[in-house]
Amino acid sequence: MAGLELAPPEKWTAAQTRAQFEAISRLRWRIFVNAFRRKGGAGELVSRIILYVFFAGFAFGVTFTAGLLAFLGAWKGHLNWLDMLLWGTFLLCQLTNIQLGQSGTTFDPTQLIRFPMRVGNYIAIRLFFGLLTPANVIGALISLAIALGITIALPSLWFYALLALAVFAIANALFSRMVFAWIDRWLSTRRAREVFTGFLFAFSLGIQYLNFTFNPAYNHHHQSHVPLERLTAALHLYHRAQPYLAKLPPGLVTSALLSARQGHTASFFAATAGCALFAAVFLAVFALRMKTEFRGEILSDAATAVAKPKKPLASARRPSSTAAPLTVAPLAAASITPRTFGLAPAVTNQFGKEMLYVRRNQGILFALVMPMAIAVFLCIKWSTRSSASWIFPAAVAYTLMGLVALSYNSWGLEGPGSQLYFLAPVRIRDIMLGKNLMNFALASLEIVAMLAVVTYTGHQPPITIILASLLWAAGTLLFSTALGNQRSLASPKKINLASTTRKQTSSLSGLISLGVMLVAIGFGVAVFSAALFFHLQWILLPLFAAFAAGGFWVYQRILASIDRFALANREQLFLELCKPD
Amino acid sequence: MPPAIAAHALSRSFNNFLAVDNISLAVEPGQFFGFLGPNGAGKSTTIKMLTGLLAPSAGSIQILGEDLIANPVEVKRYIGVVPEGMALFGKLTASEYLTFVGRMYGLDKQTTQQRTTELLEFMGLADQQKKLIADFSHGMGKKLALAAAVIHGPKVLFLDEPFEGVDAIAAQTLKSMLQGMISRGATIFLTSHVLEIVERLCSHIAIINKGHIVASGSLDELRAGVQARLAPGLEADSNARLTLEQIFLNIIGGESGPARPEQELTWLG
Repeated sequence: MAGLELAPPEKWTAAQTRAQFEAISRLRWRIFVNAFRRKGGAGELVSRIILYVFFAGFAFGVTFTAGLLAFLGAWKGHLNWLDMLLWGTFLLCQLTNIQLGQSGTTFDPTQLIRFPMRVGNYIAIRLFFGLLTPANVIGALISLAIALGITIALPSLWFYALLALAVFAIANALFSRMVFAWIDRWLSTRRAREVFTGFLFAFSLGIQYLNFTFNPAYNHHHQSHVPLERLTAALHLYHRAQPYLAKLPPGLVTSALLSARQGHTASFFAATAGCALFAAVFLAVFALRMKTEFRGEILSDAATAVAKPKKPLASARRPSSTAAPLTVAPLAAASITPRTFGLAPAVTNQFGKEMLYVRRNQGILFALVMPMAIAVFLCIKWSTRSSASWIFPAAVAYTLMGLVALSYNSWGLEGPGSQLYFLAPVRIRDIMLGKNLMNFALASLEIVAMLAVVTYTGHQPPITIILASLLWAAGTLLFSTALGNQRSLASPKKINLASTTRKQTSSLSGLISLGVMLVAIGFGVAVFSAALFFHLQWILLPLFAAFAAGGFWVYQRILASIDRFALANREQLFLELCKPD
Repeated sequence: MPPAIAAHALSRSFNNFLAVDNISLAVEPGQFFGFLGPNGAGKSTTIKMLTGLLAPSAGSIQILGEDLIANPVEVKRYIGVVPEGMALFGKLTASEYLTFVGRMYGLDKQTTQQRTTELLEFMGLADQQKKLIADFSHGMGKKLALAAAVIHGPKVLFLDEPFEGVDAIAAQTLKSMLQGMISRGATIFLTSHVLEIVERLCSHIAIINKGHIVASGSLDELRAGVQARLAPGLEADSNARLTLEQIFLNIIGGESGPARPEQELTWLG
């Protein structure tokens, strides 16, 4: 039969593999560029540029500092300082990874397994296309700066410094790749995500506690508040851990360079090889994960969803084939729900749904508890009769920092459910109001709790300060929510809780949210400072009342026109929120 | 009596691409209406416009005599929809979701509760009380979406691929439910690629291709039309009834033209 004989497959060539790499590079580039072509893309581009400038400034700052410290350490003969510096670099990279995410997030890379690709190539693709992350860039730059700092101070060590720090940078980058590949695997189920969020919460709280307890910047005026025995205990713990830490990459690189300084070349190579061995292990563990992915592993809860054996129900069902048509009464027969507290039923219903979502979102719950914990630390540290007038406003501002951000992507968790609001006989204004009321309720709860914490652990702030803070909070919340409502509809971002490597908010919305908070805090601080300086505390109330009234006016204006705005933006909304995970 | 669904001169373009071009259709009350077309023909765009998920570029839509664009809230009280994306909230349980939807459609608490229980039992989801929707399989999600679409007793039901991913037993149950609704006077507008289901359920059919309605009428009318066109070639089989698949392929094939031999992919095994 002509045309049906299968020709023996030609041998896969290196050129074809190169073509695959090139195609993936092009794909990533096109996805990146096309993201800016969508509605709101120009804003996203501007916000990215601003973020990149900030990032470049930050990267330059830490790189320069690290280089300078390495230079000073080497110059003063304290190469062992390097240990701290490298641990700092390692921790900074991991924190940057958590905060700024990973690259390779523009498409699901597991889709690549359907192409004719060897497992080795797949691993290489997953490795290389994830290397260009902000954290790895910072890690590589800092390592280079440290090597340069050492080289300038001790030119004879140039080769050793460059080699050891290059190995360290590679180990650091591979560690990040390994950890995030496994974290995404562990977080594929909801239960694991809940445990992980709890762990992160406890970890952050612990870091904050250590920061407030041991950071000299916070203990400057209150030396007596840091018990000496606590410091001794911390040092003791560090010394006990030191022999174990010395066997890890930062310790190995430090000891390699110390050996090189003393002319023990063999020891230098042994320690550097130790660090390289760690890099190899990280690579192997990463490869192991990729190999399983390559076999087509599906991890989500939905993929393993199976119907449980059915228990007989009280009202036994008829066999399916003879199932009687369901008797759904027409709408007219149903009575219409009365208003609650003057609010439309859709508003209260939406409020109830939002409560369920908050209850099931540990991230939000922890975000609520965290400011209170910080306020407790703050009060224990600083609370005096005079400081009570600024601790409460500061605590309120800190609380709002976390809460207002939620309103800038308030539809992110709705997913395809967002369509329901446009199908049901409800106004988007009511839906937004329901969502906003939840935020207002959370903020109120949080502020009241904060006041209780400040009063209980320290001193009750003056009543003028309490009222002024509340008015400032109301104004800030209203201004932010008004803008947040529009941004939620105009530039939504589907939130995927199962991935640590995807962006969960629009860059521009994040920037606007931060900008609004900074302006509001700047205004608050300026007014508070001026009023306290000129002993005109009474002026706080009318000024902040006017601020709150302005916020209310803007909020209700935007809310009144939100239906029209939602209709104009619905296609963009569905495009983003209804896309598959 | 006004048509249950009436669309007049409906168009929708995306940038320079005209997805739906000046279509008009009327679905009478009590009809089980099948809306067919090949991929990219404009089915989903049309159903989205008819349900208010997408604004038409031009044209008008009346549901039970009410203008959808002028009175969207009023119209939406009488329609139920299973959209392409199913409109489910992953962080709710099935029971919470149905309660939420019922309340959104203005049902009181007691009625919502009663219908939720009844629907969950009917759909075979009553034993999934604690499971979140995010953990549902695709088929379970479809059943829940259908339950949500009917909880308020809609007079007009729009279903976009309702049987996709649903097992045979559940599909049978759903078909019985839909036929029951028709017998009580509801109107159903359905799109599906499974032509056997459409043939068994629908009394009237419209076929859309490249944004235009290319055929519309009862199944018998479509059959007669196609048979008349093919009469010379089918004389020997004149007693054989054309299936909907044959009708569909004939109409769409006639529109697009049959594949030319030189278009065959000879390099395929």
